[in-house]
Amino acid sequence: MPTPYDSIGQSGLQFFGKVSASISHELKNVLAIINENAGLLEDLTFAAQRGSAIDPERLNRTAQNFLKQIHRADEILKNMSRFAHSVDQFNLQVNLHELAGLVANLAGRPAAMRKVILEMAVPQEPATLTTNPFLLENLIWLCLDFAIAATSAGGTLSLTPERTDSGICLHIAGIDKLAEAFPGQMPEGYDDISAALGASLVPDFSKNALTLRLA
Amino acid sequence: MRVLLVDDEVEFVATLAERLSFRNIEVDYATKGADALVLAKKKVYDLAILDMKMPGISGIELKGLLEKQSPTMKFIFLTGHGSEDDYKAGTSEACCYLIKPINIDILLAKIKQATEE
Repeated sequence: MPTPYDSIGQSGLQFFGKVSASISHELKNVLAIINENAGLLEDLTFAAQRGSAIDPERLNRTAQNFLKQIHRADEILKNMSRFAHSVDQFNLQVNLHELAGLVANLAGRPAAMRKVILEMAVPQEPATLTTNPFLLENLIWLCLDFAIAATSAGGTLSLTPERTDSGICLHIAGIDKLAEAFPGQMPEGYDDISAALGASLVPDFSKNALTLRLA
Repeated sequence: MRVLLVDDEVEFVATLAERLSFRNIEVDYATKGADALVLAKKKVYDLAILDMKMPGISGIELKGLLEKQSPTMKFIFLTGHGSEDDYKAGTSEACCYLIKPINIDILLAKIKQATEE
């Protein structure tokens, strides 16, 4: 009979797989742009060898494209490295703004595919907690997965960490189809991970918002 | 030869369009499926090169919509993915399926092959 640990393990592997697939897709796009710009330089060189003038502005635009894509790949790999190292320690003090921001960055491509924008707000005061970083990332990923699917194309989801008297929360607002989707369409694995972390998800249907309450 | 190129990565699609134009191929490009449909209403294209995964209308959905407008149009799919599902969908729905980054000589050969079929 499957235990909650099986479910958590399965969800964690799926999370790792989805993030890895999304990152590899993003890097493929970066490489494709670099490849086309390198090819364009070859084309311009070939034309110059046959007497055509090279437009310095065109060369500069190509150089700018290279720099932009190198910066983009660097950001993708920084996020990937932070994500990969989140399994280094199973109990760690984390800053919720930084951790949720990382998950929002990792979820950027899936959100963009559904034309949903993710916005991260800075909390008024630091929201830190001691937890299992990878499990918390997985839990926020599942909440975002749900929220993105329950938001109309063109919508914006705002993520706001908050320190309250009763603990640390993450508010996710802008889920315009929340009433139709919650809780029936919460992703598999959510219940077991939230139980393992002592977390709970509280809907506010009047504000199209969810609050993830963390211990 | 008139080609419609559609990909949500503007730097990719614009540069590839420029490179194809150097090779005497008339190319228009769009970064959204909806914009591609508008272009295809104004002009007849021999072939469309479509990214499979785009926000909004996917490449496969776009192919279906373009085919309704232009039944003789040929298709090549591009993707950054290499998943089995993409491969099956790409090879069953289009003349060919290329994984990014692409080799322009292979793309040119595939364009020639598709339009001569």
